[in-house]
This record gives sequence, structure tokens and C-alpha cells, in this order.
Amino acid sequence: MSSPTTTGRGVALPDTSPRTEGARKRAALLIVSRYGTLIGLLLMIIAFTIKAPGTFFTVDNLLNILNQGALTAIIAAGLTMTLVVGEFDLSIGYVASFVGLIVVGLMAKSHLPVVLALVLALTLGGAIGSVNGVLVTKFRINAVIATLGIGTALTGVGFAYSQFPIASGVPHSFTQISLGKLLGIPQPILIMAVVLALLWVVLNMTDLGQKMQAVGGNLEAARLSGIRVDRVKIFAFCTAGVCAALTGSLLSSTLGSGTLAAADGYLLDAFAAVFLGSATLRDGEFHILGTLVGVLVIAVGFNGLSIFGAPTYFQPIFKGLILVLAVGLSTLARRYAKA
Amino acid sequence: MPTDTVPLLEVTSLSKHFGGARALSDVSLQIHRGAVHGLVGANGAGKSTLIRCLAGVVAPDEGEIRLNGAPITIGSPRAAEQAGLAFIHQELNLVPHFSSLENILLGARKDTRLGLINWRESRKAAQAAASRVGMTFSLDKRVDELSVAEQWLVMISKALVSNSAMIAMDEPTASLSDTESQRLFRVIRDLAASGVAILYVSHRLDEVLELSDQITVFRDGRVTHNARRGELNKRGLIRAIVGQDVETIERAPKVAQLDAVPDVVFEAIGVTRLPAVKDVSFEVRAGEVLGIGGLVGAGRTELARLAAGADRLESGSFRLHGKQIDTRSVYSAVRAGVGLVPEERRSQGLMLDKSVAFNMNVGVLRSLRAMPAFPFLSAGKVRRRSRSLMDRLQVKARSTTEPVRSLSGGNQQKVLIARWLTPRVKVLFLDEPSRGVDIGARHEIHQAIRDLADTGVGTVVISSDVEELSTLCDRVVVLCEGRLTGELSGDDITEEALIELSYAHTVSSGEHS
Repeated sequence: MSSPTTTGRGVALPDTSPRTEGARKRAALLIVSRYGTLIGLLLMIIAFTIKAPGTFFTVDNLLNILNQGALTAIIAAGLTMTLVVGEFDLSIGYVASFVGLIVVGLMAKSHLPVVLALVLALTLGGAIGSVNGVLVTKFRINAVIATLGIGTALTGVGFAYSQFPIASGVPHSFTQISLGKLLGIPQPILIMAVVLALLWVVLNMTDLGQKMQAVGGNLEAARLSGIRVDRVKIFAFCTAGVCAALTGSLLSSTLGSGTLAAADGYLLDAFAAVFLGSATLRDGEFHILGTLVGVLVIAVGFNGLSIFGAPTYFQPIFKGLILVLAVGLSTLARRYAKA
Repeated sequence: MPTDTVPLLEVTSLSKHFGGARALSDVSLQIHRGAVHGLVGANGAGKSTLIRCLAGVVAPDEGEIRLNGAPITIGSPRAAEQAGLAFIHQELNLVPHFSSLENILLGARKDTRLGLINWRESRKAAQAAASRVGMTFSLDKRVDELSVAEQWLVMISKALVSNSAMIAMDEPTASLSDTESQRLFRVIRDLAASGVAILYVSHRLDEVLELSDQITVFRDGRVTHNARRGELNKRGLIRAIVGQDVETIERAPKVAQLDAVPDVVFEAIGVTRLPAVKDVSFEVRAGEVLGIGGLVGAGRTELARLAAGADRLESGSFRLHGKQIDTRSVYSAVRAGVGLVPEERRSQGLMLDKSVAFNMNVGVLRSLRAMPAFPFLSAGKVRRRSRSLMDRLQVKARSTTEPVRSLSGGNQQKVLIARWLTPRVKVLFLDEPSRGVDIGARHEIHQAIRDLADTGVGTVVISSDVEELSTLCDRVVVLCEGRLTGELSGDDITEEALIELSYAHTVSSGEHS
């Protein structure tokens, strides 16, 4: 199950018996940048296990952590796709909130069956993502601006949509999607596993995924090798849109209703996770497995904060600092890999 | 020559390791004022590591550097500058939208009055430096409007303004035409005569032999020769670089000429994209290597980009085996069978952080699917293709998973060529395929191009190197200011003939089409 054309795995670590202080420092930094995130995660787990015996390291709590991280992981995996092709998507949080409203509306107002509502919701997410992609590639609008603009506009549309009173209640089967369990495992975890596996396969085992990596690796070189870079990028944005829509729908399923701006906060979590992930194992490259690790760091951290009863104001402090740390580590990884 | 005085720069037993690899071991040499000092060696032989040590970019592990007899530590680029050492790299570090004047004065200590720049005095200093190097254009011109040769003069002026005692130049003639090079050599000699030390790094041995008062040869991180002018001839120099006698690249076997109707693979018909390319027509025959000669800026790269679909045609067309092909995008050109190995390897060709295998396969991914109908790649096919190409082109890398970033220029170029070695490609354009590549790799690249032509692929080589055109190509067409000015074949491909056609402004291309 290995993907022979991806880099990083086959690269030996630099000589760890360096002769000079400079080389030693460099080797140390390379280790920090590659394994720092994993070591940090491990240290947190060990510390929480010791400090909160019988509370933290239990099957229930671990499943709880995964369950809470599942929605972040899905939206972050989509974001990973856009970063792999060298673009940005700041609309994902808004897309998730918007689609979360729409999917509830489709069931409660338009009385569509759950499955159809979900299919439409994901299609809508994909369509919004594709619009982002077209704006960025065909109209050459900077991705930050295009996706922020579209995201903000969606907030307004969502607000307008929610002006009409939503008939009470969503079907039980809809809330069961995220509340239900299969073989004792909460379903969001399973959905996350499927999405992540799917995207991993696309990125590493298909020609499309290799093209995405080529586009992100060197846009002009990819174009000159005959890759239709615009299509590849639009696909990445589309995937991000679908993932955001899925996260939004699952959130609505958890809440049992459509709430304005409910998923906006996922944007920051997703970025923190993806950048932490890019500084994991690979030298500043974005990849799915890393993103999962990044999500776990955040979820475990949050879980720890709540176990120890830290005041809620710690949460944004933790999140913000993690984001800064993540981008810092990612930059460090890239720099020392190329020095 | 002032060899008996204290040398400007004396390097003693310098060593540098990167990880386990020895980049420099026990390197000693002396650089004298007023002399041109040539630095030669294959890529990875240690020249650039030495330069980087002198420039304060990397710190040597062992050894000593003395400036005017006193030991110094060059801990940073700033320290190198203060010591009067200037470094001009191939990718000239100029601010494109600044004027020449601003670039020359950038980072230099400017005359100030009350804390404000005194432009009048500063301009005088810059002008003085500019006239020393024979700059005839206005200092107010933006540097991105200048030719590469002119940009070099700006860089040299910049070094002079900061009173540099030594100026190191890395492959200065790589993108210059012959006349421009000659002009630069004159500047270099004048500078040396005025007491500046010149460190001249180049793969072009004729130039090094012609210019240098002293030549240091590197091989595998060591200095193998420290020769004075006249102590080495070209053959001896090649032997010193390679470490053994290599047969001078034998003239390529020429295709039987014109007695049979040539099998035309590819044609350009009235190809135009103003202002660079004007009504150019030529044909590429099966089994031959066609060269495109001309001065830098004559429209050669632009022509190749049109054929490869990287830029849009304004008028004219390309035909493959007699059928017009769609070159509106690279994708369609590649589908039709046109490949391009671009001039700028690193920025336009390679995904530097990706592996050798990735870079080789990125253009042919579809053909590596396990089953054509499903988008999944076959790991086996991916591995087999990259391994066999690595052998075929003698790519020196630890494995197919090594990132191309860590390969030498020559091996990176081989990886790029390998990308297009697929039955789908019917004509391949190679833009300056051996630029910045050492002799051994150059020979192997030429062999690969020759082999490719022998399999019936139309191969087109753009080169500024007369020797490359005459030894590698069966025929050469020459461009001048966007127009085709003539065609040479076989033994007629000589330096004189090429230069004449490169300046043949008046010949209209109509006579050739």
C-alpha cells in the first residue's frame, strides 16, 4: 500500500553524528520540525494520563476525543487538498455553516428525505468550491480574496434563508447520523475514517493526486509537462467544498437544528491542524496523515483543558497559539529541509 | 604578475562537510590582486562550496582564510562585503523595477546630507564605476529593460562602488552571446589591470584558458591543480577535471544528406508571435538533431514555447507528420506529441522537493495506471519506468526516491529529459540542455539526445554554445531578431557562419520558406 512516487519517506535522516555544532543544531532542528508534532502529541497524552488517572486514558474519553475531532478532521482534510495544489480556502468555515442551515431547511421546510437532502447539501458544497476554483484559476483572483469574498457572501445568503421560520424539528434519522454508533464506535469517527482514507488514496495512488502534488510543487513546471493545472486546482477547491459541506451537515445533525454561523470556527481549527500536519514526518509538505495528527493535537489539548477545568477563555488562547506554532513549525521544516 | 607580494586572499587547508559528504577537503589556494583566477571543476567538485565559504554563506569546518596576510573569519555575507569581497551569481541579484543607478547603490554606503541621500554625489560615484565597465546606457533605465549582458555590467559596477578588492563571477557568459562575452572579457581584463582580483568560475574552458592568469582545478572536493597561465592546455585541463583522459566528444554521425527525400517529422510554417518570433518556417527530419542558433533574445526560446503550447501563436502553424496540431495549450501540444525541456530547469522544469521518480513520471502519469480505465497508478510500473530511465540516462542519484533538489545540475537535466522519453513524444525541444552542466554530464546528455534522435524522434536543440551546435546537430537554423536568417548543415556549421547568420538582419525569411 505504499505510494512509490511520493517523496519524504525514502529520505534518510541526515548524519546524526555531526562534527560541528552547526551541523548538530541543524540536525536537531530537523528532528524537531519532522517529529515535533508527534512528540508533542505523545507528551500531552502521557502527561494527561498521569495527571488525570482513570479519566483521560479511557476508551470512552479517547472515543470522545476522536468524535470531537472528527468534524474538524473532515473539513481539514478538504483544506489539505487546496494547500497541496498551492492554494488557500478561507471559505470552508462559512460553507460549512451555510450548508448546515440549508440541509436542515431542505428537510424541515421542503420536507425532502434525509438522503436526498444530504446529497444536495454535498453537491452544493462542491458547487461552491468549484466557483472558488474558477474564480482563482480562470479569473485569476487571489485565493485569499476570492474565498473570503464568497464565504462572506454566503453568510449573508444563510442569514436571509434563516429569516423564513423553519418548521420545528429534523427527522430522527438525521440526528442519528452523528449520534448513532456502529460496533460501539460513534459514527462521525467512521465517516471521518472513510473520508480521510479516500482522500489519502486520491492523493497518493491516483494520477490525479500526483498531478495535484506536481501543481503544488511547481506550477509552471506542471503546466509545461502538460498538466491542465486549472482543472486540477478546481478539483481541489471542489473537494474542499464537499468536505466543508459534510462537516456542516454533521454539525447540524449533532445540534439537531440549523444554526447561523455554527461552523465558522472550524476555519481556524482546520488551518491549525493542516499546518501542524505539514510539519509532521514530511518537510513542510501538506498531507492527509499529518492533518489527522494535527487534528488530534488540538482535540487532545482541548480535552485536557476541559478535564482540568480550565476556564473557557483558555480555549481561544490555546487555539491561537497552536496556529502560530503550527505555521512556525511548518516553515521551520521547509527551511531546514532545503538548507 | 604580482605573485611575490602578499596575496589578497590566502586559503589554507579549508575543509567542509555536509552531513557525511565531504564538500571540501584540505583546499589551499592564493588569490592575487590584479589577476584573473579561474576556478574549474565538474559540478559538485567543490567550487561553489569554496565560493560559499568565501562569501560567508557557509562556515568552513577547518582551515584558515587570510586577507592581506591577516587571518579573518567570514561569518556572514555582510562580513564578506566589508572585507571587500563581491560575489556575482548567475541569477543576478538585481531589483528588477529599480533603475541601474538604484541597483548599483543598493546596499552601498551613500553620500548623505542631514540624513537624506545626496543623490548628486551618489550618482557621480555610480557613474564613475559605470564608465569603468564601459556602460553606455543611461543609469536611469530600469534593469528589467536591460539585456543580461548589461545586467552583468550593473552588477560589476555595484561591486566597484563598494570598493571591492575581489569580484567573484559565477558563469558570467552562460546567457551571453559571443560578442557580449568578448565585451565582458575586455571589462574583466581592464578591472584586473587596475588591481582588482577576479575569481572566474566557468564550465567554458576556452574562456577560462583565455582569461585566467591562474587556474585552480577542483575534483571531488580537492584541489588537483594550481596552474599558472600556459601550464595547462584544453586537453590537459579536461584531464585534470575529469581525472582521466576522455575522448573529445566525437562528431555525431551525420544523417545521409538530402539524396533521399527526408522523412519530415515536424514542421513550423510561418510561425509568428510578435515581437519575438516573425514568420519562421523550418522542418525537423526523422533521425536528425536540429539546432536553433542565434543570439540570446533572437526569439529561440519563444519559438520553442510556441511549439510546446506554452504561448499562443498569432499566426502560422505547426505540423506533425504532415498534420496540423493544436498548440493552444501545453496540454494539447503534449497530447499531439510535442515536448519541451525548458531553459530554466529549476523554475520551469522541476518539482525540486519531489523525488527523481516523481519528476520523471509527472508527464506520463496516465500511462502508468494499473488499468487504463481506473485512475489508480501501478506502483510497479512507476518503479520500473523510473529505474530503467535512471539506468538509461546514467542519472547519478542514491535512489529514485531522492529529492531532485539534492542532485547536481547535470543529473537534474537528465531527469527532465527522462520525463519526455515516452513513445507519445514525437518531437522534443531542448532549450540550452547543457547550460551549467559539467563536462561528463554534458557528454552523457548529448549522447541521450543523439540516441533519442536515432529512435526517430525529432529533436531540436536550442543552444548559445557554438561547439554544442556543431558537434551535436546535423543541421542548424539560425534566428536573428525573430526571423530565420539561414540554415547550415554538416561541416558548414562553423562559428563564423553561425555568427554571420546571427547578425544577418537584412536577410528576409521569405527566401527560406
